[in-house]
Amino acid sequence: MLESFSDVIACSPIRRAVVACILSGASCSLLSVFVVLMRMPLIGVSMSHAAFAGAVIGMVLGFNPFLSGLALCLLVAAALGPLSDRTDLDPENALGIVFSFLMGVAFLGMGILTRTKASALNLMWGSLLTLSQTDVLILATVTAALLLFVATMFKEIGSVLFNRRLAASSGVPEKGIYYFLLFLTGAVVSSNLATVGGLLIFALLVQPGATALQLTYDLRLFFVISVLAGVGACLSGLAVSYVFDLPSGASVVLMSTIFFAAAFVFSPKRRKSKLNVKDWKDA
Amino acid sequence: MIEVANLSVTKGDTRLLSNVNLKVSQGELVGILGPNGAGKSTLINVIAGFERFDGALSLWGQRQAWRRPRSTRLRIGYIPQTFEVDPAFPISAVEAVLTGAVGRVGLLRRAGVSEKQDAMRLLEMMRIGHLARRPLGQLSGGERQKVFLARAIIQKPDILLLDEPTSNLDIAVQREVLNLIDEIHLAHSITMLMVTHDFNLLPASMERAVLLKRGRLVFDGEIRQALSGENLSKLFDYPLATFDQDGRRFVSYA
Repeated sequence: MLESFSDVIACSPIRRAVVACILSGASCSLLSVFVVLMRMPLIGVSMSHAAFAGAVIGMVLGFNPFLSGLALCLLVAAALGPLSDRTDLDPENALGIVFSFLMGVAFLGMGILTRTKASALNLMWGSLLTLSQTDVLILATVTAALLLFVATMFKEIGSVLFNRRLAASSGVPEKGIYYFLLFLTGAVVSSNLATVGGLLIFALLVQPGATALQLTYDLRLFFVISVLAGVGACLSGLAVSYVFDLPSGASVVLMSTIFFAAAFVFSPKRRKSKLNVKDWKDA
Repeated sequence: MIEVANLSVTKGDTRLLSNVNLKVSQGELVGILGPNGAGKSTLINVIAGFERFDGALSLWGQRQAWRRPRSTRLRIGYIPQTFEVDPAFPISAVEAVLTGAVGRVGLLRRAGVSEKQDAMRLLEMMRIGHLARRPLGQLSGGERQKVFLARAIIQKPDILLLDEPTSNLDIAVQREVLNLIDEIHLAHSITMLMVTHDFNLLPASMERAVLLKRGRLVFDGEIRQALSGENLSKLFDYPLATFDQDGRRFVSYA
């Protein structure tokens, strides 16, 4: 199966971009469920900047940007978990400090880079049409790991999303789940640097989940809608980018915003008076 | 069953609990009473495993660290003050109750028919069965608190910790929630510790109370003795009086 998958992505840049779009949309939008429901958008921002800063450091020092991005992401994830659990430190302040520090590191690296500034800039907004086969394979592995995590731990995830303290009190390994989630965030963000980039990925970490929030009260459906919104935004963004010769990352983000705006305008949850109360009672 | 010896909790420069000693037997319902900042919630947070501490805590005769294995956490239920839930959050009342059974069901297994039936039965017991499919965030504070009660019971705990379960509720719902706590205590013989600072809102089956003041345990005994004008005036540094009506003791300004 891996061989046939390799054949598909080896075929042409366009086909590879389409596969990457689906993987990128699926991985980011699965994560966005957590980002939106646990109200941790700053964690998403910090991780995306960690990946970006790590990749730039990699370029300066001559390492693989993905690996250095992933390494810094995991380092930040390892620090953020215990930091956000400390009661004597405001988590928002801690995240603000981490975020600004990483921005500083990234731009310092950009300043030091004497050559290949263009490839560093590509890490900011990505380029779906110039992906390598390895980029797509890494993305596929990370997406599969995230899918497996959600599928096997769904009830524990639901419990943690609802309330971490209550989950802990009823014997759910909430710290393990939360920290593993941070780890996966790092992996997803760094593997998506090449597709949508370290700055624009933030949109995909928030908007698909925010879109689903407008449309359903069912957590399973929430994940499904979020993935459809994310993959839909990526594929339509790629099409727009190809047809109008626009940057692909920016097109994806704009399409994602349009999806959210449509869900917001037509949200049945916002028009509560029109909801069928009978359904709640009879379901 | 619960034994606390020389228990202290310090945060930064502040001592939240200082050398607290307490023993609670199986099936007791003990009130933890005191003014704001007395350390009441800190005490049950320590027993729940949410808080680091100095001193000794034993549960069922076994010494406990602040981090507990799953098997121990499963035996301790926790009910917080009612809290706001985003009206758009994707969880229904019955699903919220079922989150209490997640730890007991275990990893890589799905909640079965019996857990779902238990959840519905408990919501019926709380008299909100008709709201089972309603999004949790669209329930009133009282209805949500009943969901949290059901959520704690489905866990089948041996110890139930209640942190101001009636705060932020209207007066009629407060009495309803207290009656439910009584019902649960009598029906399941669960050992309960209930934190409150409102002495006029105590379950009828509460027979013992400990009074905390600035992190120190200043009284431990029978509830009617605890609620004497003299004790309470000292506790709050304010003149308070008590009176009895319909077999219950009430507190008022002196």
